[in-house]
Amino acid sequence: MQNAIGILFGNNGSDSLSLRGLTSERSIAAVPFGGRYRILDFALSSMVNSGLWTIGLITPRHYRSILDHLGAGKDWFLDRKSGGLFILPGAIHGLSGENGKFRLKDLQLNIEYLQKDLSENIIISGCNHIFNINYNEALESHRNEKADVTLIYKESTDLSAMKGKERLVISDNQDVLDILDVSDTNSTIACPRKQNYFLDMLIIRRTLLLEIVDGYRSIEAINLIEAIRENIRTLKIIGVPFTGYFGVINSVKDYFDRSMELLDPIICREVLMGHDRIHTKIVDNPPTKHGNQAITANSIISSGCIIEGEVRNSILSREVIVEAGASISNSIIMQKCKVSSGSRLDHVILDKFVQVYPGNILKGNKNSPLVVLKGSLV
Amino acid sequence: MHKQECIAMLLAGGQGSRLGSLTRNIAKPAVSFCGKYRIIDFSLSNCANSNINTVGVLTQYKPFLLNSYIGLGSAWNLDNPFGGVHILPPFVGEHELSWYKGTANAIFQNLKFIDFFDPDYVLIISGDHIYKMNYLSMLNYHKEKGSEITISTIEVPWEEVSRFGIVSLNEEGRIIKFTEKIANPDSNLASMGIYIFNWPILKQALLEDEQDQVSENDFGKNIIPKQIELGRKLYAYKFQGYWRDVGTIESYYNANMEFLKGDEAINLFDPAQRVFSNEDILPPQYIGPKARINNSLISNGCVVLGDVSYSVLAPGAYVGEGASIKNSILLPNARVSGHAKINKTIVGENAKIMSYCSIGIEEDSVVRQAGITVIEDHYVLGKGSVIYAGSNLYSTR
Repeated sequence: MQNAIGILFGNNGSDSLSLRGLTSERSIAAVPFGGRYRILDFALSSMVNSGLWTIGLITPRHYRSILDHLGAGKDWFLDRKSGGLFILPGAIHGLSGENGKFRLKDLQLNIEYLQKDLSENIIISGCNHIFNINYNEALESHRNEKADVTLIYKESTDLSAMKGKERLVISDNQDVLDILDVSDTNSTIACPRKQNYFLDMLIIRRTLLLEIVDGYRSIEAINLIEAIRENIRTLKIIGVPFTGYFGVINSVKDYFDRSMELLDPIICREVLMGHDRIHTKIVDNPPTKHGNQAITANSIISSGCIIEGEVRNSILSREVIVEAGASISNSIIMQKCKVSSGSRLDHVILDKFVQVYPGNILKGNKNSPLVVLKGSLV
Repeated sequence: MHKQECIAMLLAGGQGSRLGSLTRNIAKPAVSFCGKYRIIDFSLSNCANSNINTVGVLTQYKPFLLNSYIGLGSAWNLDNPFGGVHILPPFVGEHELSWYKGTANAIFQNLKFIDFFDPDYVLIISGDHIYKMNYLSMLNYHKEKGSEITISTIEVPWEEVSRFGIVSLNEEGRIIKFTEKIANPDSNLASMGIYIFNWPILKQALLEDEQDQVSENDFGKNIIPKQIELGRKLYAYKFQGYWRDVGTIESYYNANMEFLKGDEAINLFDPAQRVFSNEDILPPQYIGPKARINNSLISNGCVVLGDVSYSVLAPGAYVGEGASIKNSILLPNARVSGHAKINKTIVGENAKIMSYCSIGIEEDSVVRQAGITVIEDHYVLGKGSVIYAGSNLYSTR
């Protein structure tokens, strides 16, 4: 057990309608991913696997599906006598929209969660990314260096894959010298190509966080990163690199690409099958039945499916029915969809409970996969 | 403590020696079945689906894995403050003996446990049968008939009657005779090993049985015949549906295959009567680019790169590229490396089959064990080995 507690900003990244239909009724954190998971499982499980027993989740605007998924946190072992899972209602930001991340307003509203705990540090992350991290290494650096704030970053040359991420200027001894805003193009970095992207994961001393929340009380719209930047000269801020897989999702195409990356055995093994597993809500489904005429290749398939047709290069959630003669390729099929005989799907994302009628052909393409809304009959 | 109307006593202490190498490390109720399940899941799920919230599980033989699998019973929705699952291993007291000598003796040694809940009825079930049943219907029948002891029964084919305990009824359904495993009985109504007793009757019967020096302390052999003799009101509840005793390698194999076919077997996909189980945390199954799968049940965490047909793969099983699995059962985390060929084989938990092995090769002359090959848990079979059908491979230790 760690002398740290967690805060997950369930509302990070839920501002725009970037995932279009997939996020019209749910936040990005609750979007199904990789068959049996939802996106927030990755951030939440990373904290649980790092030994955190107290985790607060700040809710986004549409949070019904998140609460449905989490319940009392039992499947993450967070139904505890002391500590456990805390649901922290997020602030309502009116007309200014849901823009931004790590907003101090959300923490102000839930200040008691921070006040009543006695832990030394708080681990904070968003839950709109795909990763599997163990925070122990970063926590150790944070303690050894007696840091006030530890920012976790990834070195990358791929600007598009890290879109919307702040960049860090880091000295040779891992001190963070500056935090560059997303829009800040004034390059003060020595090597212009390889950049240190901040991964929306940080460790901060609890008492410092309380001071920051209190100190910026009068300012309406400011986020934690901006507050840290304003005090960068007086705080000891270090950077800790993360070398593992980190999937950013800003658009439907990103969502599609990140999903398909799971079919890469190396990524799949690292994210899903390593020592630290991703936990998710458990549903008692029987094993998946592959029928007499089933053809399945290069796919991830969850439990409780009945497959009689053809499935290639696709990801199937739980309880999907693929009838004989149906063909699915390069697609993401969410829970309880039914694909009837003779229909053909290519580069399609079916949200939950979609039924595809016999003989229909749905086709998107690599750059803009076709999204079929939850519960549609097509 | 809340008084309970009916509590269940689940007999899970049997060694299951007829399952051979499958039960050398693990109690029979904890043996993996049909992919993600373990045999005891069916009885525990039946209790949960029948609103019987207090279950005493009597364990004895190699209980560790079984106990840790059951835990608090939360996987079956049985963790509740008024009853819950209680694991009852043999214990030593001032007068009591330690080991359970028979099914009746096991209950006898836990009379205080039952008294604690002060039930009206006690349901006795065993942890090694595969079936879905609502025990409340049986309890209602028991009350309706004014029965003192009710035995759940099922019609079995006449050619198999000698394997079962058979009840003979009079015209109003009352049991007049109970015979254990004899040739040519006068009925084909077999006892399923499921009993409902009025608690006072059970208590008295167990106390008397304990005094009987020649008794084997067994429900089927001693208690039931004795109670018929005493003129108690015993009725037979006729169960209709799927029920299998998976006590032998052959019946275990066949039951798995019946689930796979899905025609006769109980519907695992029925949302109204779900079978719960205590799952490991595993990712969805991954099917490789060259895999070919048909007529198979594949569980979470499986990686299939080769060919699989008419087979059941339990969670975490691995099938390498070019391997071929036919008519077989892979238990949890079994690993079959590339280009191995397997037919009609049960591969134990965590067993490893190295590449280019050939298992289950049929000989013309003799058919042993119905042609089923069994590889024990944790066995490692070296590269290129050839194993004939009907063999049993045991790990050395």
